[in-house]
Amino acid sequence: MKKIFTKFSVLTTLCLLLLNVAYAQNVTVKGKVTDGKLPIPGVGVTVKGTTNATVTNPDGDYSLSVPANSILVFSSIGFSAREIEVKNQTTINVSMATSTQDLEQVVVVGYGTQKRKDVTGAISSVSGEDLAKMPAVSPLASLQGKVAGLTVVNSGGAGSQPVIRIRGIASTNNATPLYVVDGFIQDNIDYLNPADIESIDLLRDASSSAIYGLRGANGVIAITTKRAAKGQTRINFTSNVGIQKVIDRIDVTDAEGFKKLYSTQLANIGAAPFDFSNYNGNTDWQDLILQTAIINTNSLTFSNTGEKTSTLINLAYNNQEGVLKYNQYQKFILRLSEEIRVTDKFKVGADITGFHDINQGATAGLNNAIWAAPIVPVQTDAYTYYAMPSFQRAQVGNPIAPMERNRNNSINKGLSFNGSVFAELKFLKNFTARSTFYARYGYDYSRGFTRPPFSFINVGENGGPTTTVIDNQFRSTVSQGQSESHRYQQDHTVTYEKTIANDHRVTAMVGFTSLRFAGSNISGSRTDSTLVVPDNPDLWYLGVINANNILTNGGGGNEQTNAGVFGRLSYTYKDRYLFNGTIRRDGSSRFAPQNRWGTFGSVGLGWVASEEDFFKDNIKAINFLKLRASFGRLGNSNGVADNRYQVLLANGRDAIFGENIFTAVGPEFFPDPNLRFEIIQGVDVGLDIRAFDSRYNAEINLYTKKTDGLLTSYPIQAGQPAFFTNLGEVNNKGIEVSMGWTDKIGKDLTFNVSGNFSYNKNRVISIGNTIDFQIIGNGGVNLTNTGQSIGYFYGYRQTGIYQSTADLDKTPKFSNSLPGDISYEDTNGDGIISPLDRTYLGTPFPPYSYGMSLSLGYKGFDALIEGQGVAGNQIYTQRRTQNFATLNYEANRLNAWTAPGTSNVEPILDNTRGNNYLFSSHYLEPGDYFRLRTVQLGYTFGANMLAKAGIQKLRLYLSGQNIQTWSQATGYTPEAQIGSILGGGADNGVYPIPAVYSFGLNVTF
Amino acid sequence: MKIFNKRNICMAITAASLISINSGCKSFLDTERQGVYTTENYPYPQGGTPYDTFLFSAYDALRAYNFVSDGFMVASSIRSDDADKGSTPTDGGADVIAMDNFPVLSNGRVNTLWTEYFVMIVRCNDIIDQVQNNTAIVATPEAKLQAEAEARFLRAYSYFFLVRAYGRVPKIDKPLAATANVPQSSASEIYAFIEEDLKFAAANLPLNWESKYSGRSTKGAANGMLAKVYLYQQKWAMAMATANMVMTSSQYDLSVNYGVIFTEAGENSKESVFEIQGTASAQVPTANGIQYANIQGTRGNTVEWNRGWGWNMPSAQLEAAYEANDPRKNRTILYSSQAGAPRQTYYGQTAPLFPTEVPNPKYNHKVLANPSFIARYNTRGSWWMNVRILRYADVVLMYAEAANEVGGAANIANALAAVNSVRARARIGAPGGTLPNLTTTDQAVLRTAIRQERRVELAMEHERFFDIVRWGISQQVMQDAGKTNFIASRDNLLPIPQQQIDLSKGVLTQNPGY
Repeated sequence: MKKIFTKFSVLTTLCLLLLNVAYAQNVTVKGKVTDGKLPIPGVGVTVKGTTNATVTNPDGDYSLSVPANSILVFSSIGFSAREIEVKNQTTINVSMATSTQDLEQVVVVGYGTQKRKDVTGAISSVSGEDLAKMPAVSPLASLQGKVAGLTVVNSGGAGSQPVIRIRGIASTNNATPLYVVDGFIQDNIDYLNPADIESIDLLRDASSSAIYGLRGANGVIAITTKRAAKGQTRINFTSNVGIQKVIDRIDVTDAEGFKKLYSTQLANIGAAPFDFSNYNGNTDWQDLILQTAIINTNSLTFSNTGEKTSTLINLAYNNQEGVLKYNQYQKFILRLSEEIRVTDKFKVGADITGFHDINQGATAGLNNAIWAAPIVPVQTDAYTYYAMPSFQRAQVGNPIAPMERNRNNSINKGLSFNGSVFAELKFLKNFTARSTFYARYGYDYSRGFTRPPFSFINVGENGGPTTTVIDNQFRSTVSQGQSESHRYQQDHTVTYEKTIANDHRVTAMVGFTSLRFAGSNISGSRTDSTLVVPDNPDLWYLGVINANNILTNGGGGNEQTNAGVFGRLSYTYKDRYLFNGTIRRDGSSRFAPQNRWGTFGSVGLGWVASEEDFFKDNIKAINFLKLRASFGRLGNSNGVADNRYQVLLANGRDAIFGENIFTAVGPEFFPDPNLRFEIIQGVDVGLDIRAFDSRYNAEINLYTKKTDGLLTSYPIQAGQPAFFTNLGEVNNKGIEVSMGWTDKIGKDLTFNVSGNFSYNKNRVISIGNTIDFQIIGNGGVNLTNTGQSIGYFYGYRQTGIYQSTADLDKTPKFSNSLPGDISYEDTNGDGIISPLDRTYLGTPFPPYSYGMSLSLGYKGFDALIEGQGVAGNQIYTQRRTQNFATLNYEANRLNAWTAPGTSNVEPILDNTRGNNYLFSSHYLEPGDYFRLRTVQLGYTFGANMLAKAGIQKLRLYLSGQNIQTWSQATGYTPEAQIGSILGGGADNGVYPIPAVYSFGLNVTF
Repeated sequence: MKIFNKRNICMAITAASLISINSGCKSFLDTERQGVYTTENYPYPQGGTPYDTFLFSAYDALRAYNFVSDGFMVASSIRSDDADKGSTPTDGGADVIAMDNFPVLSNGRVNTLWTEYFVMIVRCNDIIDQVQNNTAIVATPEAKLQAEAEARFLRAYSYFFLVRAYGRVPKIDKPLAATANVPQSSASEIYAFIEEDLKFAAANLPLNWESKYSGRSTKGAANGMLAKVYLYQQKWAMAMATANMVMTSSQYDLSVNYGVIFTEAGENSKESVFEIQGTASAQVPTANGIQYANIQGTRGNTVEWNRGWGWNMPSAQLEAAYEANDPRKNRTILYSSQAGAPRQTYYGQTAPLFPTEVPNPKYNHKVLANPSFIARYNTRGSWWMNVRILRYADVVLMYAEAANEVGGAANIANALAAVNSVRARARIGAPGGTLPNLTTTDQAVLRTAIRQERRVELAMEHERFFDIVRWGISQQVMQDAGKTNFIASRDNLLPIPQQQIDLSKGVLTQNPGY
């Protein structure tokens, strides 16, 4: 009876409300919104339950015509929303509290969102605003240093994506996190405009990402793109233009230094001196392949929210030149986001992004420029270049010739459409059903040709004449390639949400998802036997060359599917006690049917101590305190090739008999029919705090994460194809601390200081019972063994240089060691140096990383300084170990040992002494660095200053990025090369990270 | 109570989904690899030669970079007293320089060399496994025997190189479980394994092939290789008998002029018992070829002589080893022209000028490509040139050596006749009195003469280093050649690659002295 009564009363109230709305008188409400002292511009003021809305002006004032009995909702990022009943008032001044700032905001938790205050896992958010003001074409590049536990290794290549790791290396195979863009699972997010991102949520712990089943094990980067703001029609334009410049070069010898060192080396090996007489050049090859490059990003957004619809249109054009010559990346983006609220209970929406990119790879070779002898001049005209001297001619070419020859000789473009459609229905009072279909169509196409070779001048040596040679048998080749890919995803969820007796909030959700990726590609080339194809892109199609000429072609495809069901239950009691639980049953087509499915899930508990009465009464200084603990279990199917459990037959082999060619097949690898996904289980304990009137905030996390059944490829007995299997366990433990202080000094100066620090300890717990082999990487330089970090450096430890034969006699040595050689530590104390003396030399993966920032605001001015760094890892300068030919020397070789007492670090110049090329600490340098990541100064003009131009807000700024790096590393960047997991940390000529100096503006109409 | 009811409903839905998804999604998740055969859907050829596609995978491995070019040439030729590294003094770095000057490094190309020979062994084992165990292939017993024989011939060839180069190596005679970590067997066990394979191969391989398969493994190749395997074990009578089987097979003779043997025209001739096959075309200049001639080609400044790296330079010791006027000297050593003293190549071109056009005074003449082929294929890389692995003259000299060692007047007479047959061909076109017939019947004198003949006839053809080791004279020979670092007890064998020792967690052990 009671129940019926309740329902009846609700209905009655509802009817009355509707009547009231229909017949209520409208009043115009005015007022000012402040934070207690200062006005807050841009606060959304909405009549509750309607789309009638406005925003406050720069002076915090608003005016809105509303029904006299309505409720106004005031909301703004960084402030707690407030609801105030109008009750016929015409002036409503509102003071908004900054308390527990972001806690009311929602974060993505996978197939749904949750208020930050209810979260029990480790989820960090970065606002799109912070990313949009950085000069970058990749949305991920600017995350560097911003979040504890997130490692971002940037590349300076135009348009390139950084390598991203969340909480260390949990897989020996693929440790890249999952990208989820508005719910759509993606491998590549180049198609996004960084300025069109509302926020990025990083789901770092196992409990947060468990709902993504087989795909979330390396953490999840959830990106939410912008939606039309409430209340108003807006136009926003942002633009940034900058120059990029390489400030840290690799120090190599000039002509004089080279001549000296090569002459010394020849004398040391007893060879005749080289005749340098005709080599009069002094060329800085790096100077010639590097350029000061432009970066330019532009974004224009139109948005509108009407009674029934919200619309957002974004156009973007980004252009980045690489600092290596002729490298350029451009992208064009057009996005339309639309939502139609058909009724109060039913809405539909669609989002479509069209993307086009044009990519010109670098035509210059970094290593080539470092290796080429500086004694050679560059060229005599645009078609005639100097060849390298005889001692390196066969292996090292003039770096500039291929750079110019391959300039703009190909066209590489891509198109993609990423779209989604959703429908959402509220039913039975507490239920919401939502279905979303996503699709991506990608299409890449390229075509190009080979330009005729240049002439080369062979400088006369030993009295011989200088000659000019040209390959007159050149034939031009035209090539074309196209690939398409498509990806479909569907998500269906039903959510039940209810608050009972004001104290119990329950959200339950169940859902189903499926994914399918597939693609195909085709490519071909034709080589003309009689004509040289002109340098005219209009002709670069296969058809330009008669089909009776030389031709090649190729093609292939791929397909992968994924399906899962999932559920989540969230429960909070009195906002104090929090529970989150998820479950997922997930399957992947990559594995054999019997190994395809897994069940994953998580449990999270939280206690908001600051909501307890005793706390509120006694601890005033702390505004918010949450303790949380969570556990999650999930699988990892990334990085394993499709259908790896089956034996594929390689058919790229040929037998030759006489002049006849016969095709051959053979197993491509050794199959493991029991191959299955990795299992990751993690426990996370955390604390969130806001204190001192919420000026202070901090988050601390402790985690441990274990990966079982690591998917690893390892070479078994020599000659066997690599074996890919599940083995062993690895553990990542760590601590993440981030904190900040936001405050004011006086009336006008605001500041924020924040910092983050993380420590990750990676340990291999076991490499399995079945493996009988050592896991090595990079030719034995890196080992993976129980008790150490994955892929640690393993080699000899340099103790100095053998100075003399007397020195040799009393020091452990190889049987053929000579004075001037590197002396190594006799770690096993057997009196000689042998392979048994190799030992642990460090880890390629930085265990410590940190970031810090200081931002200041004074009236219209704002300033930002950010720094970022890592510590504790080693970099292997593999580029210095190359000795296949005589290469230019790095500057450290100027200090090479020549006689007793001359050097105790650099061995003698003698490339016949193999002992000095053994992998040792001689070739390691500390990976520690600190980088001044950003220095930015801006000024914002208020509406009162620009009202005539119809401008609401205008911000202009100057920015410097990567302008100084403190490091002992000698390469182009100290950022650890961690893309390879079992063989990481080697610097083989990394694309330089430039400093970027830019100017930008952000204007809203 | 209400919420619990609803939650129960939710749970029921979840449970139902969980159950249904396993069956409902079965076909959705059953994707196949696109555009690639698997062992399950491969259309195994049926009929006469069903194993050919797998067998050809092994022949493919013959052309691998270290199997027949870099590692192979460096370890068997530059390491010997007949050749030096060549090229510019510092070229190639410590690793290849150590192959010339000793001791050889354990972390360089010895590893890739080792690996590529085991790639061949693994492919051969796969074929043998197909023949024996794949019921999807319907084949006649003859086809099975022949396929297995080819695989075992190639496996034996690989092991023969490995045992000579490294001594103790792991014996892998079947596809391994992924976890197998096989220790080394003694050299004598490996030799026994090789003999078994070659006997089987010789019994089941054809005498010859139709022309489209020229160069494919034959009975003669298996017997010729077996004779050499016996020779290395000093099983003289067996070696003599087996070499004789090749000589009486009517497949081979000494009719091809010495100069022609090494030309493109000399490929797969009557002289050829086994050679690794490469080809090229203007379209595909390298992929179907072998880099062997390229890495030894002249390292010239001019377009004409920019043919390669200039490695493997004939040594002064080899130069001095020839008898007066022996035409083989100029066919083996390509002398660079010197100021005022132009030299000719076999093809009549003026040789490049030393030191202005090329940095070395000598090159390996046997790898010099015919200019007409360079024009035809529009490339100077010379990748089309076959590598002579077993020549008929080698078999004849093996017979001579074995017969002389067996001894007895008749055998020594036969040995003498055999050597003289090789000398007779060699002297064609030379002034009278060049390379006169040998007449000695003294076993020791003849032994020395046969060894000398073997050296010059097969110079730069990868026999020399292994020969001086098996004759037990390596220490003396290398000292005489000025290789003062050479210590026979260590340097007769290459080091076991350190990386392989590391990978095996010490199951593989290093050779003595390293």
